[in-house]
Amino acid sequence: MEAFESSEMLATFLASTPLLEESWKLCHHANTALVQNFVVNRVGEVTYVAFPAVQNIGGANSCSRDSVALGTAAEGVFTAFNRHDEGEEPVMVHAGLLQLFLALYNTQIFRDKMSELVNESKSLVFTGHSVGGAIASLSALWLLSSLPKTSISTAVFCITFGSPMLGNESLSRAILHERWGGNFYHVVGQHDIVPRLLFAPSSPFIPQLHSFYQSRHLSLTTPYHAQLAVQLSNENKTELFHTVLAGLEGNSRGVSDLERSPFWPFGSYMFCTDRGSICMDNATAIVKLLYLMLATGSPTSCIEDHLKYNEYVGRSCLQYLMRTSFTEGSSIESSYEAGIALALQSAGINSHDPVYGLAKDSLKMANQVGCRRNLNNAKLAVDLSKFTPLRAQIEWYKAFCDDSDDQMGYYDSFKRRSASKRGNKVNMNRFRLALFWDKVIEMLKTNQLPYDFHMQAKYVNGSQFYKLLVEPLEIAEYYRSGMHKKKGHYIEHGREKRFQIFDKWWKDRKVGEEENSPRSKFANLTQDSCFWGRVEEARDCIYKVASEMDMGRRLLLLEKIEMFEQYASRMIDRKEVSKDVIAKNSSYNLFVGEWRELKSHLQPWPLQFTSFQDGGNMVP
Amino acid sequence: MMGERVGDITGLREELILKSCKLAIKAHEKFPGKLYIYEKNRGSTEAVFAFAGSWLVDHWYSRKPFGETKVDASKFPSLRSIGRDEIALVNEAFSTRFEQLLIKSTLASEVEKAVSDRKQVVFTGHSSGGPMAILAAIWFLEKYVRPNIYQMHPYSVTFGSPLVGNRIFSHALRRENWGRYFINFVMRQDIVPRIMLAPISSTEEGLKLMHDFTSPKSQSFQHVPIGNSAAASAFFLSVMRNASSVASHAACNLMGCTNLLLETVSSFIELSPYRPLGTYIFCTGNGKLVVLDNPDAVLLLLFYCLQLSPEEQNAEFLHGIFRAHLVYESELQESLNMQNVIYIENLIDIPLSSDAGTNYAAATVNSALNDLGLSMKARLCLRAAGELEKQKLENQRRIGYYDAFRNQRDANDFNANVKRLELAGIWDEIMEMIKRYELPDGFECRKEWIELGTIFGRLVEPLNIANYYGHLKNEDTGPYMVKARPKRYRYTQRWREHAAMRHIGSSSETTFWAEVEELRTKPYSEVKDKVLRLEEQTFAWIRDGILGKDVLLDESTFTKWWRALPVRHKSGSCIASYLGN
Repeated sequence: MEAFESSEMLATFLASTPLLEESWKLCHHANTALVQNFVVNRVGEVTYVAFPAVQNIGGANSCSRDSVALGTAAEGVFTAFNRHDEGEEPVMVHAGLLQLFLALYNTQIFRDKMSELVNESKSLVFTGHSVGGAIASLSALWLLSSLPKTSISTAVFCITFGSPMLGNESLSRAILHERWGGNFYHVVGQHDIVPRLLFAPSSPFIPQLHSFYQSRHLSLTTPYHAQLAVQLSNENKTELFHTVLAGLEGNSRGVSDLERSPFWPFGSYMFCTDRGSICMDNATAIVKLLYLMLATGSPTSCIEDHLKYNEYVGRSCLQYLMRTSFTEGSSIESSYEAGIALALQSAGINSHDPVYGLAKDSLKMANQVGCRRNLNNAKLAVDLSKFTPLRAQIEWYKAFCDDSDDQMGYYDSFKRRSASKRGNKVNMNRFRLALFWDKVIEMLKTNQLPYDFHMQAKYVNGSQFYKLLVEPLEIAEYYRSGMHKKKGHYIEHGREKRFQIFDKWWKDRKVGEEENSPRSKFANLTQDSCFWGRVEEARDCIYKVASEMDMGRRLLLLEKIEMFEQYASRMIDRKEVSKDVIAKNSSYNLFVGEWRELKSHLQPWPLQFTSFQDGGNMVP
Repeated sequence: MMGERVGDITGLREELILKSCKLAIKAHEKFPGKLYIYEKNRGSTEAVFAFAGSWLVDHWYSRKPFGETKVDASKFPSLRSIGRDEIALVNEAFSTRFEQLLIKSTLASEVEKAVSDRKQVVFTGHSSGGPMAILAAIWFLEKYVRPNIYQMHPYSVTFGSPLVGNRIFSHALRRENWGRYFINFVMRQDIVPRIMLAPISSTEEGLKLMHDFTSPKSQSFQHVPIGNSAAASAFFLSVMRNASSVASHAACNLMGCTNLLLETVSSFIELSPYRPLGTYIFCTGNGKLVVLDNPDAVLLLLFYCLQLSPEEQNAEFLHGIFRAHLVYESELQESLNMQNVIYIENLIDIPLSSDAGTNYAAATVNSALNDLGLSMKARLCLRAAGELEKQKLENQRRIGYYDAFRNQRDANDFNANVKRLELAGIWDEIMEMIKRYELPDGFECRKEWIELGTIFGRLVEPLNIANYYGHLKNEDTGPYMVKARPKRYRYTQRWREHAAMRHIGSSSETTFWAEVEELRTKPYSEVKDKVLRLEEQTFAWIRDGILGKDVLLDESTFTKWWRALPVRHKSGSCIASYLGN
């Protein structure tokens, strides 16, 4: 199917809804009516909450580029961002902006109003202009992470106008993982310098710029303030413009970590110009466009655009009425190219601008990434269904072994298999399934799958089932080939990374109310996929006890065996094992026999290790 | 794409179209005295029923915001998606008005008479008489054509009709291959066909204005200084704004937009559920007729045709969009004389820029699109609608290799089991596509697929059920039928039932085993009624050869369970003779 560029269409859609207009109306009110904390307005089913651009900054330093880890600086407030994976940078946000939010968050009026709104309204829109926009984002993030995920609750949306950047790339990624990417919508005026400011190293003029804007906002409220308006000299403006432009250029190219700004966009961005608007969600492309659009501006326009949202919003909201005329040549025949050309026209970038080619490339890149992600997801679903038969063959193999006369069960039949066609086939399937899942993990790592892939029930369940069915075979193969003698025991030294990842998916999944009722029959598959690994370790301990002369170490081994025995009998009592575990000739039953035998030899030291019985919680 | 006559494209004689138009407008003028008019003419082979429109707000919206409701499934059993079993939505006010019309007027008996006289039946309506014509035609199709009582399809011809139903409504008509009997004429700048894209809150005043402006009895008939009226302007702006939301939302989806925002915002605002159905013929106002039958494309055109160019932004324009609703008769007369008809079948290749086209065909299409006032953006959207349609056909072709399904009969050894799972995989893929409406609308009515689905279900589903209960999965998740029955069986069963015009759930013989397994776990006294029902069904299925006699063998679960039932029950059972004693 031919691709289409939809960034302009999406912006048109949003501008034709009441959300944009109503949000700005309330922001404007918050700015001009000298609102202290926030204002609330209800329109139909939707409640809007706006935060003013003028903030009583006090001690908070919103001018620097310092950022702090969200998990520690605001402990317990943003619960969704508390855990983070090793090796990844923690979620960081701008220190000054967070401080402003926390000051508000700690007021009684904010808490009371929020709980009232959550109870009363179906949909909440947080909005704000300039610094107010950042407060709106933080409020929305806080509410999203504190609302229960499972129950049907309030829908939360956030629209900012000319808001400064808020957090780092980890924040952006965490938001995508939670599937909140669609809840944030940042409107940016064509050359507005404020959303771009934090990409530049701090400049001495930034505090000045800040007081300039504060006074301009205040001048809208009373004539008295108008007289006190702070002025920026032309030299200052020029200096600022070039510093920010240079900083953005570097970041849009991907400079070394040292020079890179710690800030990164999240959610969607709507760029507004005199000619239209476009909306995108690819962060890399957003940074590029922030740069390329600024490059077509001037020191004056970049300062003034921050105060022109009234015009931008007004124009966007009436755009639907008029036919979009297209002036950039007329010879385009490809739908895709035409869509790109229309989008660029709306972004105010003309074909004769030097940055035209670059802008075109970044739009194309964003489009391809989006399409590829969806395509990969669809293709993977088909692949998964192709791999189901391989898994089913293993299942049948299991049923065959479990019912076979030698009563060894599935694990031991595979471990002690002789060269047979059936065994070989199952072994091949084991390989192919491993390859498939490794490919999935690789694609996920390289960002080629949808952001919430690891939350899709299909894959969470599929991987769990795969793990329960096939990991016992992996363990069997490991001990069959004597790998444990070379590398050590399976669980600690031989377990593939993929199984650990699947453990995590399974643990993080949204759990329903099921699976608490007791089983009336043995499980289809042993619920701990490492069960056989533990059996092998326990049996190894038994062998070692015989030759171990050191009393201390001997005791330790016995303790380990004892713990395993308790764990295993607990599993069996709850019927959480499959029937191959209790097959007459299974490794587990061998262990039981060996252990009984050993215990009878241990009679001279009766029950010395009973004291460890309470320590059973050491086994998972 | 061009050079054809309206009569050839629609299958309806042009004089008949004109006559319908005249009658429709006349009917509208007679309201409220008469609900519809029908001129009896013995010699004629046609029977034209023309319905009156109304401007009463209550006849347009039953409640806020859009006044839609589920269609009456007993009267319109075809108006749903089969597999998903999603019932179509219809405007409640229109549907109630039609019900009343059926009860209070002699329509039903006059139609019956026309049928017995073997006449070609045509339903027509202008303005809100249009929905009556559409509903009457569907009522006719369900009552006479589907049960094969009368083979001559009726026509519904509307002029400036508001939208009636949602996308399922339109999907169902296309699936039954009825879409072409619904012909809708729309003046490029007539605002009425767009009204339903806006909520009642923003159109109530406008409807009153329309009433004053169009009703000949009103003092201000066609003389209201509507071009300068603030209320008229507000009405136009709000209809356009809402139409823009609906159209751009549809366009984003057609273009494959992947931004999560689209989904989030849709949950914050309510978009009109109404969609066009059947064939649309747009009158450009200068004698051209543009014909389209892709519902997505029509929806987009309804919005884009009404967009302004800078020079049009004046009072006359506003007056024009009100007047356009009243000129159908003269406009049609002229257009049908000129026969300048452009049938846009191939949306993918329409020219993008307004001055393109060296070859004659492209230039003709181009000039028609120019006359409709379509910008490059609008043309891109139309192309996207065309691409989606093409993609649906492609999807259908891709799964068309049903050779794979042919050898699904013997299913005992290891490899046959693998094969079966692969087939189940393909079926699942098809079901997913159906769920997302990614296959052509007619797919669920295709005979070969209904048959394949039936065979597959009968062979494989009993094994699935055995497996389910064998592993006691019912203890984990609940009964098979309620919790675990895969779509590939549920959907295909509904296809079969729809094709045979049977009630939903009436042919569940493949799930016989699931029912047996469920009953087996419960004491007889609790499930007595269910046992009786199962026995009756079993009797019929065995008699009709739908269920194999192997279920009656001594060692079958069914026989063992049945034998354990109380003696008193067994002696009176209808299947006692099968099972002997």
